[in-house]
Amino acid sequence: MGAFGPWLIAIIAVLAVFVDIPKHQISFPFNCPGICLKVGDFQVNQEIKTHLGLDLQGGTQLILRMQTEKLPAGNTQTPSQLQQLAMKVIERRINSLGVSEPVLQGVGDDKILLELPGVDDLAQANDIATRQAFLEIKVPDADHPGQYKSLQPPLTGANLKPTFVTFQNGTKPVINFEFTNGDDQRWVQLSKDFYQKPVQITLDGKEISAPTINAIFTDGRGIIEGGFTAKSASELSLLLNSGALPVPLEVIQSSRVEPTLGQESVQRSLVAGAIGLFLVAFFMIAYYRLPGVIAVIALLYYTALTYALFRLVPVTLTLAGVAGFILSIGMAVDANVLTFERLKEELRAGKSLRNAVEAGRVRAFPSILYSNLATIMTAGILFWFGTGTVKGFALTLAIGVAMSFFTAVVVTQMLLHGAIEIASLRQRRLYGVEERAVDTGAPRSTAAVSP
Amino acid sequence: MIGVVERKWWYFLLSGLLIVPGVIFLALGGLKPGIEFRGGTLLELRFGQPPAVSDVRDAMAALDRPEAVVQVAEGGRIEVRTFEMKPDDIVKAEKTLKDRYGANLIDLSSSVVSPSFSGELIQNAVRSIALASVLIVLLIAFAFRNFGWAAFRYGIAAIIALLHDAAVVLGIFAILGFFLGVEVDSLFVTAVLTIVVFDRIRENLRLNPGEALNPVINFSIMQTLARSVITSLTVVLTLLALLLFGGFSMRNFALALVIGIVSGTYSSIFNASQIVSLWQELEDKIRHRATAVA
Repeated sequence: MGAFGPWLIAIIAVLAVFVDIPKHQISFPFNCPGICLKVGDFQVNQEIKTHLGLDLQGGTQLILRMQTEKLPAGNTQTPSQLQQLAMKVIERRINSLGVSEPVLQGVGDDKILLELPGVDDLAQANDIATRQAFLEIKVPDADHPGQYKSLQPPLTGANLKPTFVTFQNGTKPVINFEFTNGDDQRWVQLSKDFYQKPVQITLDGKEISAPTINAIFTDGRGIIEGGFTAKSASELSLLLNSGALPVPLEVIQSSRVEPTLGQESVQRSLVAGAIGLFLVAFFMIAYYRLPGVIAVIALLYYTALTYALFRLVPVTLTLAGVAGFILSIGMAVDANVLTFERLKEELRAGKSLRNAVEAGRVRAFPSILYSNLATIMTAGILFWFGTGTVKGFALTLAIGVAMSFFTAVVVTQMLLHGAIEIASLRQRRLYGVEERAVDTGAPRSTAAVSP
Repeated sequence: MIGVVERKWWYFLLSGLLIVPGVIFLALGGLKPGIEFRGGTLLELRFGQPPAVSDVRDAMAALDRPEAVVQVAEGGRIEVRTFEMKPDDIVKAEKTLKDRYGANLIDLSSSVVSPSFSGELIQNAVRSIALASVLIVLLIAFAFRNFGWAAFRYGIAAIIALLHDAAVVLGIFAILGFFLGVEVDSLFVTAVLTIVVFDRIRENLRLNPGEALNPVINFSIMQTLARSVITSLTVVLTLLALLLFGGFSMRNFALALVIGIVSGTYSSIFNASQIVSLWQELEDKIRHRATAVA
């Protein structure tokens, strides 16, 4: 490790505690919350804060399935293309709402996960995600009087300029649209072909209005009137401007958590974590004495470092994620237990303190490595196959275990080696071993074990 | 030193007493799948002063959901379970309940899983269990690769102990499901995988294989006993904190983990090694008989 080791460990500790302090802003270099770095094309712009999942801060989550079976025949887009398109449309819709930190990601190639933190209104979330906003102008069907048919090709809302709401007679909200990109010519032509006849304006297959054409149009402009309120008109205008979803979506999973419940969960988790930490610390000191104290220092180091990492990466903490973190506190001392048990065995076998510490480290290492690998592998499988909750648990558990490996192998050992250099800390009873090794007559562990 | 090996039949009996009732309730269909695995709606209502269950049931019946199952849960909460509700229905139900209970209803959370999606979630759970099972066999084989026939014996014992733990956890949850309506969800599967399957690997990789195969098994057990018990104890301490003080929805998860760890520690000390020693005894007997006949 060399002489730099202890300093490096100490610097990491200070940085970790600094990152852990809530509600402060580090400006690095200047004028930005958190860490901001710009070196050529490399740019870091990271606000430092604890990211809470929906179950801890409240909000709405939806999993949407693309109803590809409802697409008209002859659709040439692949599911993943449709998924990308649908996600872009939903993203535009969310952006115009101003939700902070929304999550939008593909699940498989036929599903989309949407998380809207702070959105408490399931109806609104459902509208954003599933209103297709597919506008089509239909014309009277000559073969079936009173019915309407699509033009060939259909005249849809695909080529519209941004729509806006105005008020007719100062009170009646209407949506103004304008065709562009060639569709404006078709719109003009339509007014000639169907002069004095009604045309049908449909949204998602339903009629909104069926005005009669009373004049020949000169450009692509038109209005939609349909008994709107000011709110519903502006919502529809917004949806039309974000574009139509390329495929109908259905909600296959939804969950909505109110912020008050989230706060309650955060408080309960904090209490549980603190009590768990305290119980483990108490036990370790009572059972292992001086090495126990060292283990507790290492455990605090571990907790500070892991939490700092969660804030920096950042890892979104869910209720299950917090459970994984608390569980990892219990597992983190595991490596210390293995080391200290070895240390005791070596001391009882009559080795000097210094030799025993070194032998304990070397002989406990393979067990520590394997057991940590096994846990990380579990987390990997859970992350791979799991959904939402399970993924959160797996991620925090894996990070926790990796950090505990670091603290057990590096920090505990450094502290232990440091402690035995201090004369007053060199008494054997501080390590839970009788002052003089008592021969019990049992076969020596060290002698009986093969490697 | 306790004669652990001499008393092996007692330990097998205790395991049997734990497992048999569980298996009976498993057979009776006690293990209740949660909405994640069967599809449906869960409404969680938190009250200042919880109303009577029948009152909430009436409210649901008025919403055309007479089939809704209403249960009291800890922390002034009432849980309502019913079939899948579409977002519009949920919005309507939430509004009706909020109007009915006013400020007494502190908060109301809802989750809905469509039955079509729950099939996929079950598939994922089954896949991860299958993959984990294959991995554990490979890992145990790897850990004991240098010990030949004896290692095979130890590997089988480890897998029997694993089945023992799985039976204990599943059995207890079947009993809880039968009497208290406790449901299992993907977090339960996670608990089983984390503890029952992988803690077993941890345990086995941690035991130095050389020690595990020590001919003087009793001594080897005592030597590893301290390590096994203490490492399990620290984890159980944190889990107890989670169980008693943590978020309500984590209760069953923490409980499954605690049962798994305690059972795992018990079975690795009192069962797995016993099986190895029993095997050895049987082998000796057969060999003895063979020589006697010859």
